[in-house]
Amino acid sequence: MSVPLTEKPNAENTPKSSSAGVIINGHYAPPPQDKDGKIWIRTSALIQGSPQELYDIWRNVEFIPSWQEEIISVIATGEKTSHWAMKSGDKTIEWDSEVLADEPGKRIAWRSIGGESENAGEVIFEPAPSGRGTIATVLQEFRMGKLASAWETFVGRNPKQAVIENLRHFKAFAETGEIPRAQGSSHGDRGVIGGMKESVYGEKIPTPPGPNQPVS
Amino acid sequence: MKAVCWMGKSKVETLSVPDPTLLNPHDAIIKVTKTAICGSDLHLYDGFIPTMESGDILGHEFMGIVEEVGKDVTNLKRGDRVVVPFTIACGNCAFCKKQVWAACDNTNANAHLMEAAYGYSGSGLFGYSHMMGGYAGGQAQYVRVPFANVGPLRIESDLPDEKVLFLSDIFPTGYMAAENAQIQPGDTVAVWGCGPVGQFAIASAFMLGAARVIAIDRLPERLEMARSIGAITVDYSEQDVDVLTALKDLTAGTGPDSCIDAVGLEAHSAELQGVYDAVKTTLMMETDRPIVLRQAIQAVRKGGTLSVPGVYGGLLDKVPFGAAFGKGITMKMGQTNMHKYMKPLLERIEQGQIDPSYIISHRITLEQAPEMYKIWRDKKDNVTKIVIDPWASAFNQEQLPTEPEDRSA
Repeated sequence: MSVPLTEKPNAENTPKSSSAGVIINGHYAPPPQDKDGKIWIRTSALIQGSPQELYDIWRNVEFIPSWQEEIISVIATGEKTSHWAMKSGDKTIEWDSEVLADEPGKRIAWRSIGGESENAGEVIFEPAPSGRGTIATVLQEFRMGKLASAWETFVGRNPKQAVIENLRHFKAFAETGEIPRAQGSSHGDRGVIGGMKESVYGEKIPTPPGPNQPVS
Repeated sequence: MKAVCWMGKSKVETLSVPDPTLLNPHDAIIKVTKTAICGSDLHLYDGFIPTMESGDILGHEFMGIVEEVGKDVTNLKRGDRVVVPFTIACGNCAFCKKQVWAACDNTNANAHLMEAAYGYSGSGLFGYSHMMGGYAGGQAQYVRVPFANVGPLRIESDLPDEKVLFLSDIFPTGYMAAENAQIQPGDTVAVWGCGPVGQFAIASAFMLGAARVIAIDRLPERLEMARSIGAITVDYSEQDVDVLTALKDLTAGTGPDSCIDAVGLEAHSAELQGVYDAVKTTLMMETDRPIVLRQAIQAVRKGGTLSVPGVYGGLLDKVPFGAAFGKGITMKMGQTNMHKYMKPLLERIEQGQIDPSYIISHRITLEQAPEMYKIWRDKKDNVTKIVIDPWASAFNQEQLPTEPEDRSA
């Protein structure tokens, strides 16, 4: 055996395992694959802000319509439970949700407990190496057939992409106090092809209002 | 208001559109006093940049007077005179904090489109496709400026608009191109393309210590302008001129210390490879025509630096990467980190070190813009730079080419 290199001026302790199963036994593990009617998405972002600040924004359930796409309202129904309403295509779907794990400044896990959406997920906040901000990792699962998922993609946003976009909106809000918005920009006549492109590019899904009053 | 709109490939129209409104707390509305057509707007005109939609307002070089500010804008007020950078930056993400403003995480409202194409999304840009944010541009009477605490540079002095307008893009872009070229005092620098960015790259290369600058183009008015600021010029379209031979001849067989590609994806060549790229892009087997890039990699000296301010959009064919590796060259490129350069370059203008308005050849109205896009694209009428006054009337302009036809008869 050769002598291991020992000079590592800035190295930090390597985690043997990390949240959301990104590292297991010191080895990278890919995100869970869709199987048995469950679809999975794992996504993460580097956010300038402390884990506690970010946790506080996320845990404020009634504020969630300000930064998550298509969520019409979230009403806290108990310390750990809430009632959600979401726009899906032309209709509104509703469900109840409960918090399964609540570790202030670190982690929130939840699952739906009845209603028109079956989902479960967690968000983990941990300091990035060298104090370069906070890593927010979301692991979310939907119980949804491939057909239903394709339908969602067709009428609006692919559910996996929605989770990615919501984390992006969360980061923008946490870092800047608003969510970037091009919808409502001045433009000339889009015509038929321009309008089709807007749909294909996902520009017809309303950008969440952020700090603005929701447009009803 | 009136605005210049992209209505399809090679189709630009001046239309009446709704005025912009404040949409977010950090927005400002600017009344545009001067705006310009950029060489990179021609890539949109020619349909080389994907995700344009008909109706899109063009223009990313503009300045004006603050008309209205959102509730969280703290360092601008109504009446301030500002130049606006073409890249939009939030000022708070990890990239902005590192001064890599063009890589801002938070300003591209359609980041997923650019992520799909490039892996990660850069900052949003004004008037430059939906992949780059879908923001309306500034070739208009008014424009909405997001994240207005961070971008707009206040002009406190009474310098005329034309001297400071180019701080919005091409002067910082030419300057960053020269900085990226890692020029050491006494170096020889070759610059491909003597349009506005090339001109400022030449001027900036001298400012940063170049002993010699070799400028390559084919248009006499541009070559003349490059000579006027001290460059040695090479006209690649002249008979018997071979650029690689010329650069060897002019550098004692060594090659330039640094090469700057200020042309980008729509390079022209009369040679066989020009035909090859024209055919492949037409058949959509290649997105860009990297003729200059190939030449610059081949030309730069061993261990030299290649800086690329010219825009590339997609997939390139037959790029001599072996030569790049074999000579151990450094390549630096990308959208300009505007916010880092605007203030120091304004100081250089205020001190009289440079007057960027020397490149202007045409002053026009919004109504004349569609015609001028075509004229510039076709390299007619000795265009070097077109500046638009969005409030000028078409009927008191000296350079009005022809009066609009009366079709009522």
